[in-house]
Amino acid sequence: MNRGFLIAILAGLMPLPLLAGEYDISVDRVQIDTGDFVKEGIGYNGASPGPVLRFKQGEEVTINVTNNLDEMTSVHWHGLILPFEQDGVPGISFPGIKPGETFTYQFPIVQAGTYWFHSHSGFQEPDGAFGAIVIEPEGREPYRYDREYVVQLTDKHPHSGDRIMRNLKMSADYYNRQQQTVGDFFAESGDKGFLSTLKDRMMWGDMRMMKADIEDVQGFTGLINGKGPEQNWTGLFEPGERVRLRFINSSAMTYFDVRIPGLEMTVVQADGNNVQPVNVDEFRIGVAETYDVIVRIKDEKAYTIFAESMGRSGYARGTLAPEEGMTAKVPDLRDAPLLTMADMGGHMDHGGMDHGDMNDDDMTGMDSGDMVMGAEMDHSAMGHGSMGHGSMGQGDGASLPEDPFYAQGSGLVPTASNGGKFLSYADLKAQSPLYEDREPTREIELRLTGNMERYEWSINGIKYEDADPIVLQYGERVRFKFVNETMMTHPMHLHGMWSILDVGEGKWNPLKHVISVSPATTVYMETEVDAPGEWAFHCHLSYHAAAGMFRKIVVEGGPDGTVAEGTKTGSQGGES
Amino acid sequence: MNRVTISMCGLFLAVAALATPAVAQEDPAKKTQTAKTFWGVSAEKFEYRYSDSDEELAVIEGDAFYGTDGLKFRWLFEGEWEEAHNAWETLENQFVAQTPVSDFWDAKAGIRIDTPEGPDRVYGVLGLTGLAPYWFEVDTNLYVSDEGDASVDFEAEYELLITNYWIVSATFETLVAFSEDKEIGVGEGLNSTEVGVRLSYDLIDRAFSPYIGVVHERKYSDTADLARDSGGSTEDWFAVVGARISF
Amino acid sequence: MNPILKNALLPAMIVAISSGAYAAGNHAGGHHGGNAIGEPGNAGNVSRTVEVTMRDNYYAPESIHVQPGETIRFKVTNEGALVHEFNIGTADMHEAHQEEMQMMVEHGVLKGDHIDHDMMNMDMGNGHSMKHDDPNSVLMEPGESRDIIWKFTKATDLEFACNVPGHYQAGMYGDIKIDSTVAAKDRVEGESDSESVQ
Repeated sequence: MNRGFLIAILAGLMPLPLLAGEYDISVDRVQIDTGDFVKEGIGYNGASPGPVLRFKQGEEVTINVTNNLDEMTSVHWHGLILPFEQDGVPGISFPGIKPGETFTYQFPIVQAGTYWFHSHSGFQEPDGAFGAIVIEPEGREPYRYDREYVVQLTDKHPHSGDRIMRNLKMSADYYNRQQQTVGDFFAESGDKGFLSTLKDRMMWGDMRMMKADIEDVQGFTGLINGKGPEQNWTGLFEPGERVRLRFINSSAMTYFDVRIPGLEMTVVQADGNNVQPVNVDEFRIGVAETYDVIVRIKDEKAYTIFAESMGRSGYARGTLAPEEGMTAKVPDLRDAPLLTMADMGGHMDHGGMDHGDMNDDDMTGMDSGDMVMGAEMDHSAMGHGSMGHGSMGQGDGASLPEDPFYAQGSGLVPTASNGGKFLSYADLKAQSPLYEDREPTREIELRLTGNMERYEWSINGIKYEDADPIVLQYGERVRFKFVNETMMTHPMHLHGMWSILDVGEGKWNPLKHVISVSPATTVYMETEVDAPGEWAFHCHLSYHAAAGMFRKIVVEGGPDGTVAEGTKTGSQGGES
Repeated sequence: MNRVTISMCGLFLAVAALATPAVAQEDPAKKTQTAKTFWGVSAEKFEYRYSDSDEELAVIEGDAFYGTDGLKFRWLFEGEWEEAHNAWETLENQFVAQTPVSDFWDAKAGIRIDTPEGPDRVYGVLGLTGLAPYWFEVDTNLYVSDEGDASVDFEAEYELLITNYWIVSATFETLVAFSEDKEIGVGEGLNSTEVGVRLSYDLIDRAFSPYIGVVHERKYSDTADLARDSGGSTEDWFAVVGARISF
Repeated sequence: MNPILKNALLPAMIVAISSGAYAAGNHAGGHHGGNAIGEPGNAGNVSRTVEVTMRDNYYAPESIHVQPGETIRFKVTNEGALVHEFNIGTADMHEAHQEEMQMMVEHGVLKGDHIDHDMMNMDMGNGHSMKHDDPNSVLMEPGESRDIIWKFTKATDLEFACNVPGHYQAGMYGDIKIDSTVAAKDRVEGESDSESVQ
């Protein structure tokens, strides 16, 4: 309905010599019905999720955002490369949009691909203020498919964002209903022996850490395009077609493991940038990431899109079917993972730990202290050859497929439910590199830090409210070293400039806008500093960002008011 | 109010002044992108007690706070309403400022005002609250009264998860006084212990969790003598029914 | 897959690759009339040349019409930045070949933008190697250009496809319509008419 309206407006403006489109978005109070509960929330053009905005690379867009709320709002164009004044972060890009006010965004679309937009004010995004962006490339799509769908995931919670934050501050485990119980203790005692189980619990208890601390906020209903599992969002296809699914994780807090039982998925795009196609059976989508996959469907039957949360506390479900109303079996949730000592990297070196006590099973290979994975995870040392098969697995991890983006022996390493291929960051290679590969001009270390018990999150131990901005110089290429010292996974999002994820592939390293950093790992990304102005940089878990895992980035120098070309060698997204 | 209490209040203010964040004004996003102040109201205990000597009590332990990560203001309320006498046997209000001193521990300083049936007291409070290894929640305070008497209380709680909704919590409380305050029934040395075991079920999130339990209270040495002299009991078993409430 | 298991299976898989690859070629030439895909053609019989450009990740053109019995010279150029294949076969044959190509990737023979020729030609025992030398296909690095001369025998639907893992699935294929009712001459369709994206 809204889309039709937008298209009509777009069509009306088409005769203009310059490719330009004007779009109207209203920010409204809406009802969100998940099938499990109905909740007052915030949406765009009267619905949550809001409309799918379809832009064309090279278009000059004008977007009028009218705030119908009784509070300030903002719209951030997640992943879009644009002048910083248009980036929509109140207090950094602009002051925000007052109640009743219409703010007009205007910027050129310089890229193609799947993105999304959301409010950057308070907890409006968890409350429902988000929508999808699909940008058609200037040239042809470098893939061939018969139809496409946006599959926008979210973790709708019956509590408002403000209340969730407050509850987490009162009690960090407020929403954790997967904690280990007395029953678990005895079950494990039966398997591993009473003493070893007791020792294990004592060790974790000594550090006041929980193995089951994977999802801070449980109790949500997973939605696909606004529909709960029972409401079953359905995408139609004709047998024999290739269908492109544009997965967007618009969750506040939840990573999803996505699969379509019976179909192989070919990942062709990550965070809006084309990647060399890779066939997978399942993939994990971090908060705020996007993955485009193409599925080829031969049979005339229904398939379930099943997105289990990483901690297995909930799921989203949809269906691909030849006709409306057809359904396929919905799998059961798999067992919840548990963190291991390997996920504890950063916690083990400060005080109180007697390393001699830890000759537990989980500790195999860690007897030299805590830095084993630190060393092995150093991606800077990761050449093409060093990721060879068989070099990683050992101890408990031997039967798991190796993934260098998890701590060795981590409890979070995902496996495909059918025993097949699970996508790793290591599989992502740019399809056509945007930047020349060059030596970074300097390295900035960012330790991801926090205090789970107090629900405080920070960078380098300093919360945003106490921190100075990170100052970058226009034209430099900065290598960021993320060292995750917490036991949570953090999806780090840099605004305005690409995050070039170091997967050890040189110029083929993929461009992303969110880099997920697993517990006790070190991950590198490089950024061509080609966008002057002030930008936000933060963990995209809503309540981590609000708790302080946030920085302002100031880019000094550069041509005034324009997004500079830097060392770009090609176009983004599609073919030129 | 005597000098000790006044100096306590001074400390309170000093802590408040110190912990007030020197907000950097230059970055407005620190306001818009950060959730800074929080509040909460809860009652850890809201229960009816019935003793083995047919005594009936209503007990409330409430807590309301407002503040930031760095500094919270807390109002702690503790009351025991005795059915037989139609009177508050215990009625405490504490107003404290609380600030982190380590990863798992907070220091508290403030004032406690007791206005039960009988003589009133005002105390200066210095306390430590937090999470000890192995998940013991600990709260301990030093009190100095307007009569010049000092005492220390200590509370620990451990939660055992039968399931993620059925929870057994074991509590232990004790009070030790450094000097006697006969008027209010406090003897020198170990005063009392209270041990409780409660089985609760989280009915609505963690906002409303009804429970049943058993509580054992005992008074010791001088304090026990004082209790006996005034015709009170020195050891009681209670059956309790109530709810943990949190907003 | 468990790395130990994988290594143990390697020799067996090599056999599978070679025999599988041969199957396509042999069947192509071997079974007169009964074979769907046709056979390697003679340069002397070439009726026309079709230029096929490979990019990342698609072909131009994406559809070709031929007549039964026609012999065509495909002049295939890889203008992409990645390795691509041009392989004539049925959808089922492509699918079978994709498993072999997957193995080439897993064993480091096939990289994104180049081919490890030493590795590919290495004798893995029993005279088998991971050579990619079937007459119905060419596997090319960026910038390479090669010809395939192919005789189409029977009216059926074939595809030309790139079986580098993921490429076919992402849509790097084209249709070969063998159809005597249509005049084959000049029936090479342009690059632009193939998109059916909504």
